[in-house]
Amino acid sequence: MRKTALGVSILPTIAHAQGWGNVGQEAPQVFSWGQWWTEPLFSGFWMAWTRATLAFFLFVFGTILILTFIELRWPGGRERRGVLGLTTTRGDRLFVALLGSVYIFLAWIGLVGTILWAPLAISIVWLSFCFWKI
Amino acid sequence: MRTHNPRGWLFVLPVLVLVAFNALIPLMTVVNYSVQETFGNNQFFWAGLRWFEEILRSERFHAALGRQLLFTATILVIEIPLGVIIALSMPRHGIWVPVCLVLMALPLLIPWNVVGAMWNIFTLPKIGLLGYTLNSVLGIDYNMTQSPTAAWVTVITMDVWHWTSLVVLLAYAGLISIPPAYYQAAKIDGASNWSVFRYIQLPKMNRVLTIAVLLRFMDSFNIYTEPFVLTGGGPGNSTTLLSIDLVKVALGQFDLGPAAAMSLIYFAIALAVSWIFYALMTRDRQ
Repeated sequence: MRKTALGVSILPTIAHAQGWGNVGQEAPQVFSWGQWWTEPLFSGFWMAWTRATLAFFLFVFGTILILTFIELRWPGGRERRGVLGLTTTRGDRLFVALLGSVYIFLAWIGLVGTILWAPLAISIVWLSFCFWKI
Repeated sequence: MRTHNPRGWLFVLPVLVLVAFNALIPLMTVVNYSVQETFGNNQFFWAGLRWFEEILRSERFHAALGRQLLFTATILVIEIPLGVIIALSMPRHGIWVPVCLVLMALPLLIPWNVVGAMWNIFTLPKIGLLGYTLNSVLGIDYNMTQSPTAAWVTVITMDVWHWTSLVVLLAYAGLISIPPAYYQAAKIDGASNWSVFRYIQLPKMNRVLTIAVLLRFMDSFNIYTEPFVLTGGGPGNSTTLLSIDLVKVALGQFDLGPAAAMSLIYFAIALAVSWIFYALMTRDRQ
């Protein structure tokens, strides 16, 4: 009984030590990369840009831009007949690589979970396969 | 003589601007929404890949996708052979050609929501011509608002009525482009009607039929207006196709994040199937 009473009497101290004293107060701002990537880029803007989604589109447009430069430098698209029996250009191979990667990621999210290092590795293998054989 | 004029690209510019505004910017917005949560007022909170995980594992999405695929497969199986048969039996010379062509083109000219409303009234059990005939004259219990089977039969019949004409017109265009010499040679060899169809007409229609399948696939896979006006997705959820479900999630529930994830998955499926068709078409040419 005495033990319980003692325990109850020090409870507020324990609770306070674990952070109850901070309830209702703003948490101190600690910089985190996760938040930097995912916070709204332009607050209140309907397109809802974040750095992460911006980076995604920069990657996609970047690949298209690189292919455009390669095409200007070495025209003709480097056509060849690949393993699927299709005549493909560099652009076709990029398209198949990106679309295939979408499916790899979706399948992983649906079947396994949202830790995406493994499907990223598979996608890179798939991308090299596309540019090498298809 | 110069055959290349870089100024030609300027003429493409308006199209690029148009595509940017009506496709690219909305699509980018959808990608942004698909990884965030919002309660309105343009306030967004990062949700990561939660919506994709949720949608890919949701039974509701699987069911809607299943219904969508079943619908598309059924109308393709009916419309393509039916279209070819009608095209084969249409006259190829004389006064009846324009009459047949205009009759065939008529259903294509009717706006989609009007088609839905027409069929809705047509199948009403008390006053609709079809509904009344089936129920009161033939004694068949038919009510689209109560029986899922009746609703499916009606939705599919409506689509067949509306879109078989497209297949007919394409197949007919393929048929009349076959030079008469082929038929004369077949006649000399004593070929049967079936052989003429199998070895002359079908190979010559190959290309237009691929286009017909692609067009019908895309249209039926993205169909919204007609089944929405006709059944509203009911009874229950029995005719809730993917697009109808998507609109329910996005506008009915205002779950923009899950709806955006759903549209991206929907888009990926449509893109993959179109690419497969494109690959098959260009493969033939080589």
